[in-house]
Amino acid sequence: MRPRIAFFDFASCEGCQLAILNCEDRLLDLLQLVDIVEFREALSEKGARYDVAFVEGSIHREIDAERLRDIRARSRLLVALGACASTGNVQAAANALSPAENFARVYGEAARNRVQADRRHWPLWAHTRVRPIEEVVEVDHHLRGCPVVPEEFLRFLGHVLAGTRPMERPHAVCTECKAAGVRCVFERGETCMGQVTWAGCRAICTRQGYRCDGCRGLLPDANLAAHRRVLREHGLDDEAIDARYDLFCAAGRQAIEEGPL
Amino acid sequence: MAEALYASSESVLDWIANQGSTRAVIAPRQGDDGAIRYEPLEPGDREAARGVLALAGPSLLPPGKLFSPPGEVLFTWGPAEDGSFRVEPRLDRAPRLLAGVHPCDLRAIHLMDRVQADGNPDPHYLARREATAIVGLACSEPCSERCFCEAMGSLDHHEGADVMLAAVDGRILAHARTPLGVSLLADLAGEPCADPEAAWARHRAARPEPFGRALPGSREALGRATTAAWSDPVWTRHTEACLACGTCNLVCPTCYCFDTRDEIDVAHPGCGERCRDWDGCMLPGFAAVAGGHDFRRDLAARQRHRVNRKFAYLPAAHGDASFCVGCGRCGAQCTANIDIFDIARDLLAGSPDDAPEAEVSA
Repeated sequence: MRPRIAFFDFASCEGCQLAILNCEDRLLDLLQLVDIVEFREALSEKGARYDVAFVEGSIHREIDAERLRDIRARSRLLVALGACASTGNVQAAANALSPAENFARVYGEAARNRVQADRRHWPLWAHTRVRPIEEVVEVDHHLRGCPVVPEEFLRFLGHVLAGTRPMERPHAVCTECKAAGVRCVFERGETCMGQVTWAGCRAICTRQGYRCDGCRGLLPDANLAAHRRVLREHGLDDEAIDARYDLFCAAGRQAIEEGPL
Repeated sequence: MAEALYASSESVLDWIANQGSTRAVIAPRQGDDGAIRYEPLEPGDREAARGVLALAGPSLLPPGKLFSPPGEVLFTWGPAEDGSFRVEPRLDRAPRLLAGVHPCDLRAIHLMDRVQADGNPDPHYLARREATAIVGLACSEPCSERCFCEAMGSLDHHEGADVMLAAVDGRILAHARTPLGVSLLADLAGEPCADPEAAWARHRAARPEPFGRALPGSREALGRATTAAWSDPVWTRHTEACLACGTCNLVCPTCYCFDTRDEIDVAHPGCGERCRDWDGCMLPGFAAVAGGHDFRRDLAARQRHRVNRKFAYLPAAHGDASFCVGCGRCGAQCTANIDIFDIARDLLAGSPDDAPEAEVSA
């Protein structure tokens, strides 16, 4: 039987699913080998059980967590698709603010107390932490990045079809800069998140003259204290450094810098 | 045929560029970003060949990486026409000329030739290596402020080159070191040099002394000091700033560790490629084994292992005084400024008396 695969999304832009739809030349090959049973961006069918569930987006409300647990229960493999699912992505920056402060920032001062005063908001804010899906369910594999790398998605499916799993090596983007012969961003006088960020993007940003902003997430053993010193030596103050970490890695930084409870 | 010639720089560049008609020429070239890379040269492109005689450096990556390129395909697999399972090794025997290799990198290639031919030979490395002629360039001055090639015994290394070039008396000495080198020199316009050893002596006499950064002890003493420092705080001291990015390993001309990965054709899951990626002992998970245990998780223990590989383990296994060639790349490209030269200096100086005892966990 052909593997049944499904796509789900939570808080996200659905850009990762679009990135996958952009593998047009390979998708037709793929459709010969798998059944896509749920894919809001492309079809309206529903399935009861899945061999592989790809989950895009971060978890905000308890109702989302319940839906995710239900997907997990119906799936043999569950894969985090993209940065929102893997790390909480940019929206996890809200974790550093109180809900009231967050409301005031987004909707203006007049809305500051609405989250407490208006009971219709209570279900939404009952859980005020933006969570990567791994904080809610067990995740079998991560396809990282904002957006995902389509080749990584195809590689993962190729492995599933062959009965294996690709390795997730906890290596920094620096390894891919070296393999590509890219001159270090720091030597160009810029600063970079590459030393503490998961590789796998083939250094797409630095190869094109930009820096790494860390969209694939912080490595689990990232030496952030040492990285902070390097960034300071290259002219960033702590506020600028926090902003760089919190762009894509707010949830990850909290876990690393604050340590386990 | 002459074993040694004097030639003008322009003749040498013509000679290198014209080799492109029979084999791919790989030569150092400074990019728009200022970095030097060994890149294929268009046949006859004499201007692009100028890097062969340039003394700036070192290159971003060592030229010896040509023999084990990142991500190389080791073999392909899949069903054969008769239905049997077939594995096809992929060996690259394309003829090449690697030009403008400095003595430190040449010594590294020489060491890797021994490592890769020893015990369990690496046919992929050896196929490329055997099909590659090497033209080296002796250094007249240190190529960077991080250079310590003389301290590591690399400065006068010529073995592994088919032809060595050197600036002498305002001209270029081209000295064939192998029969292949002699035949290569047949195409170089120049006048015979009757006494190449005397020319080399003049080249050496014109060099600065000391050449690059000097260490307060011999390579043999460094090897002993490295072994003796097993429980020394030196490893922790030189690791606090480490980001475990692996750059020191990946830019090292004598780091050759790798990991493999399978690329499966999503349209034909029974077919695929076994690929090889560079790996390194400073990278997380390098020493992780089945079951998840990592027997060198501690960063200081990883640093100790890396330095021991250069100054103690590989020298003992392969009978050489050191496997660090003193090119200075690891220190220059480390964003945390951890330089193996500083570690070597501290090892030779011995542990400071007031240093606290710090046991590095294995």
